[in-house]
Amino acid sequence: MSLAFDLYLPQPSPLHRLDPRVKIVGLVLGTLALLSVHNFWVCLAWVGLNALLLAIARVSLARVLGMLRLMLPLSLMVALSWPIFYPEGTTILFSVWRITITAQAVWHGLALALRLNALAQLYFLLLFTTDQMMLVRSLVRLGLPFEWGLTLAIALRYIPTFAGTFQMIAEAQQARGLRLTQGPWVQRLRAYLPILIAMIITALRAVDHLARALEARALGAHPHRTAYKDLRFTNTDWITLLIGAFAAILFFYLRLTFNFGVHPIDLFS
Amino acid sequence: MTAALVIENLTYTYPSFEEGSVAAPVLREINLRVRRGEVLGVMGATGAGKSTLCLALAGIVPHSTGGVFGGEVRVAGLNTKTERVADLAQKVGLVFQDPETQLFNMTVEDEVAFGPESLGLPREEIERRITWALSVVRMTDYRSHSPFHLSGGQKQRVALAALLAMRPEILVLDEPTAWLDPLGKREIVATLLELKQTYGLTIVIVEQDAEVLAALVDRIVVLADGQMAYDGSPHAIFARPEQLRALGLDLPQLATLAALFRERQSRAYDFYTLDQARLALASAG
Amino acid sequence: MLRTAHLTFAYSGSPILCDLSLTIQSGEWVALIGQNGSGKTTLVKHFNGLLKPTHGQVWVGERDTTTCSIADLAREVGYVFQNPDHQIHQSTVREEVACGLRWQGYPPAEQHERLTATLAQFRLTDYAHHPPAILGFGLRRKVALASVCALRPPVLILDEPTGGLDARSADDILTLVAQLNAHGHTILMISHDMRRVAEYARRCIVLQAGRIVRDAPPRDVFADAPLLQQAFLSPPPVTQLAHHLGQPGTPLTPEEFYQGYKRKDL
Repeated sequence: MSLAFDLYLPQPSPLHRLDPRVKIVGLVLGTLALLSVHNFWVCLAWVGLNALLLAIARVSLARVLGMLRLMLPLSLMVALSWPIFYPEGTTILFSVWRITITAQAVWHGLALALRLNALAQLYFLLLFTTDQMMLVRSLVRLGLPFEWGLTLAIALRYIPTFAGTFQMIAEAQQARGLRLTQGPWVQRLRAYLPILIAMIITALRAVDHLARALEARALGAHPHRTAYKDLRFTNTDWITLLIGAFAAILFFYLRLTFNFGVHPIDLFS
Repeated sequence: MTAALVIENLTYTYPSFEEGSVAAPVLREINLRVRRGEVLGVMGATGAGKSTLCLALAGIVPHSTGGVFGGEVRVAGLNTKTERVADLAQKVGLVFQDPETQLFNMTVEDEVAFGPESLGLPREEIERRITWALSVVRMTDYRSHSPFHLSGGQKQRVALAALLAMRPEILVLDEPTAWLDPLGKREIVATLLELKQTYGLTIVIVEQDAEVLAALVDRIVVLADGQMAYDGSPHAIFARPEQLRALGLDLPQLATLAALFRERQSRAYDFYTLDQARLALASAG
Repeated sequence: MLRTAHLTFAYSGSPILCDLSLTIQSGEWVALIGQNGSGKTTLVKHFNGLLKPTHGQVWVGERDTTTCSIADLAREVGYVFQNPDHQIHQSTVREEVACGLRWQGYPPAEQHERLTATLAQFRLTDYAHHPPAILGFGLRRKVALASVCALRPPVLILDEPTGGLDARSADDILTLVAQLNAHGHTILMISHDMRRVAEYARRCIVLQAGRIVRDAPPRDVFADAPLLQQAFLSPPPVTQLAHHLGQPGTPLTPEEFYQGYKRKDL
């Protein structure tokens, strides 16, 4: 189906069954919680917790590893650059020229790298467990104007179609002698220009057709559209929401009152 | 009033590309009345104005295209100039040529539900309409499929269902079989025949493929250069091969054969379908 | 000359082409027919190198296609895609027809000469400075065809050359192709238009589920009713009529039917 951007794979897991709105709220709270802490142990615990959630969501090991591989370069850069640019604490490990590497900064760098991964895990969790269209629907239910949601939905739905068109255009041009794999990269990039132009013209035509098709389906006929397949909160959703809200309140209370998770090494400072 | 569709002195010019230049009218002084339940075929060379006519029946011309619109078009009693396109869409179902770009939902079910949703219908009513529309086009088994992997003929049938779900009085089809393989064409012709015979829907179908028209229509209108050149029964229209060819149009192959018989044996044959030809020739020979 | 030997192709999973062997001689006009999904486009893409066989071999002339680049084969095998809008991207018809020549690195003088000749041959000289993207569909088809023919490839592959065209434009295109064939170009045409296949092609290859189920002149193919039914195809209406009336022979055009009918009477 939606090959390129759709990470969703249906599975019989409780996370899949959750209303997307609950997941979005969870994502927002989780992001805020993560952004408020720099502690190595707290971030490690978060990564562990998210890994557990991924397992509950029955995400295959292959996909998890794929995600890790994606995050690896950035994680390394964060973990290495922090101690270089932000020395802190008193235990100096070594120093060269103007750069001083301290133990605390190293822990801090690692904590930030872990935090990055934890954030990525949360976002991927949402995309792995939620159908694209249901996600768009939930955004509309949360207040996004319908036309924006429709635009987003149609854009997502047309990604594979346009990917296919791109492929066909590339083949059509190659069949005339366009060389795509020769020469320095600048030349190769320029070679894609005919494909891009034909692609844009095709896309403009498609947009024209789509607009007419939408009009033919009476878009805007009634001020209040019905939704044939709509989202409905179940008891599980409410309970999950309440538990999540409670956990968030507890977390932020600890954070703001006791500086929980602020210091890179000590839990409370 | 048994006229489903009334066109009076329709003249239309698209807005011009460049500043100061004046475009030529694409439709000129079109006058046409279509009875309820009639199936009208529209023929014409590329650029004759057929697609513009279809858009005019749905109100997309002039509401979305601008330009200069003269005359009047009334569909199911509604004036296309004063009514909104969204309201006209409830009376006129418009099916386009390209199977790809008139479907924009993730599943067949979503696609057919979209129109009724736009009309604000309650869920039970939408459910009824989806089930009915899919059964008419014989795509019930594909309800939860993604349109992405369907054949061209199947896609066009889904598009038809999506429009039928809004219960239009008139169905307008702009070269629906242009991009279909023979099987797809047969599927569409069969579906339209069923709509004609079982549901008495008024149908206006533009087609290049004369064989498709031959199988379906009660009446044919030929457009040339934006004007109505001929208007008559298929027998009458297909009995003028030279005139159609002068406009760059094709006849059904059997109509060409009938012309050959008329010419060489002075027999007044005017068949254009297989059944008609069999009847005529079997009884004679 | 085009040749395949035990050609099998699969993207991944079940094969689209199975053990296909055929030879097309220089100068032939072959029509490739079959339902959508039977493998027609997949087959022809092997002839210009867009696809390479999973098993088996494909030769264009004396060269195995796995040893050639797509651009190399583009000089031998011209492929006009079904949708001309997939190729059109220049701002004038002139540039569009010339771009293939540019990409293949022809010297400017020869480019100019071929360009002028091709525009004249396809009667596009009057449109030379028009933007192709806004021309009518029939003209866009011609421009795409002209741009491929400017390279004068010995083999021409046409994917649905008459799809979406009115009768006059369709005949126009096929007349041009017939001229090319008369000059010795090999034509491989994918088409759903049985009438025109019957009229123009001299050999019909019927594909079904990735295999060749019949390879014969059109008359023989259209006489084989069970085969056609199996492949979801129908012969031209006059052929069907003759069959229903019990008229012997397989007429492909009204004229042939008429002659056959007269003979039956006598």
